[in-house]
Amino acid sequence: MKWVYRIVSLFMAVVFAAPLVWMLVVSIKEEGMKIINVLDWFKPPYSFAVYDEILTGTKLSNWIINSLLVAVVVTLFTVLFAALAGFALSKLPFRYRTLTFFLILAGLLIPGEATIIPLYQVAKDMSLLNSYQGLIIPALASPVAVIVLKSFFDGIPADLLESVQIDGGGTWRIFSQVMLPLTKPALASMAILTFIGSWNNFLWPFLSITDDNLFTLPMGIPTLMSQYSEDYVKPMVINAISSIPIIILFVIFERQIVKGISMSGIKG
Amino acid sequence: MKMKKGKADLQALLFLLPFLAVYGLFTIWPMIKGVEMTFYKWTLIRKMSYIGWDHYREVLKDREVWAALWHSAIFVVFTTPTMVVLSITLALIANRRSVLQKFYRSIFFIPSVLSVAVASYLGLFVFQPYTGLLNSVMHWIGLLPGDQELFWLTETGLAWVAITVLTLWWTVGFNFILHLSAIQEIPEEIYDAAKLDGANDRQMFWKITLPYLGPITRTITMLQIIASFKVFMQIYIITGGGPLDQTRPIIQLIYQTGFKKNDLGYAATMSYLLFVVLLILSALQYWLNNRKGADVR
Repeated sequence: MKWVYRIVSLFMAVVFAAPLVWMLVVSIKEEGMKIINVLDWFKPPYSFAVYDEILTGTKLSNWIINSLLVAVVVTLFTVLFAALAGFALSKLPFRYRTLTFFLILAGLLIPGEATIIPLYQVAKDMSLLNSYQGLIIPALASPVAVIVLKSFFDGIPADLLESVQIDGGGTWRIFSQVMLPLTKPALASMAILTFIGSWNNFLWPFLSITDDNLFTLPMGIPTLMSQYSEDYVKPMVINAISSIPIIILFVIFERQIVKGISMSGIKG
Repeated sequence: MKMKKGKADLQALLFLLPFLAVYGLFTIWPMIKGVEMTFYKWTLIRKMSYIGWDHYREVLKDREVWAALWHSAIFVVFTTPTMVVLSITLALIANRRSVLQKFYRSIFFIPSVLSVAVASYLGLFVFQPYTGLLNSVMHWIGLLPGDQELFWLTETGLAWVAITVLTLWWTVGFNFILHLSAIQEIPEEIYDAAKLDGANDRQMFWKITLPYLGPITRTITMLQIIASFKVFMQIYIITGGGPLDQTRPIIQLIYQTGFKKNDLGYAATMSYLLFVVLLILSALQYWLNNRKGADVR
């Protein structure tokens, strides 16, 4: 029975790895090679010439930088805004607290896809189309992040905060020097999930950006691909260049990513 | 925290302001603005004439809209059960003690970090007839006769298979990790006790593992249904909604109506129809999760 498990396991791993391995191997082949059967994909000669050509001759590297820039800024501010709001909801005894909480909770029910058309009009009215601001600002309010972080702040005992207050610590100090350090793992998880979400965000950039200098990766790739249909080498190089940075990030942060996802599952 | 009411109000306002400003302007305000748009002939350039309830009457009998909603629903039906089964299978594989354990855990998740465009184009090339990876491998191992090709991208049935497989490969990672961490939380003693009573692997799986995975599986199922209903880009790249719009999902139709047919008012109306569907699904999820006894976690 044991070897059945082993074979099934290996088979699944091969299926999951195959497209990626294929992508990498084809990307270092010379252009115009004749492919008669599967093994031909994997035979030398290899060459990195096309990498050079794509990196210098197209805007792909610009788009990677745009995607990284947008994702980093969106991640920082989304988590900051959500932490600020989550803290107020969790610890500050203000009027209309319950009402505010439910208003934000209701946001979980509003899918971005359903408001994308009016959002386009609103962004147009504010002249945000075709700009970095337009890519970034509408993405900064994440009700999910607020709710998740609030529930983590809820777990920090009131006594602790009151002892800081007795020592003369103000609200800002409590927030920045007690709450944030104590919830670091949750903040990190939120940050990683926000980053991946932004990196993959397609629909909004697709609608709001027409200037190809401002493209992010998900919309740049289709534009580029439509020019190459004959050979697989160039498309695979584009795929490889686009995925290598994010795969490296994954390898570095694997533990935190896995923890972040398990955490979101418990809370969500 | 203890503090004076007035002071708390002011501070809370300051803490909430950045979030609420963005949330109000780019989530709440479009929701309201969108309602106005549904009552107008409204193009990409400007607001035109007031037309009352015409868009609503039109959308309810628009065959293309119902077909697109139906395609999104088909996608939900194809992806949800397969996703759950695959996710549990992968979690079981990665949970078994093995020299390859770390490798399994990484390889099942890595596709999930790819950009949707990369994943979709990889899918497109894998499923390409004549030169694609899948048909080549099938020829090579003799599963497909040398003079025959499977047209994954242009035959409706096969196109659905291709889109589903690609989506599973690309997105199962998140669910896989949720299932894996749920499996790891099952107390070891329960398995030990079962072994003492002479239970075999299969019995332990059906009687212990699976019931323990119930709550997280329920959550995953509902989230998957909602996420699948919002599918757009994979299909847009792989089949373009074809052949003959046979795989076109509702979001693609909304996009085409708004931006290709220059009719934002009608597109907004369709969005609200989608919103109602998703709202019903979310309400269903909330109800399932909060039923008495549902919360075993």
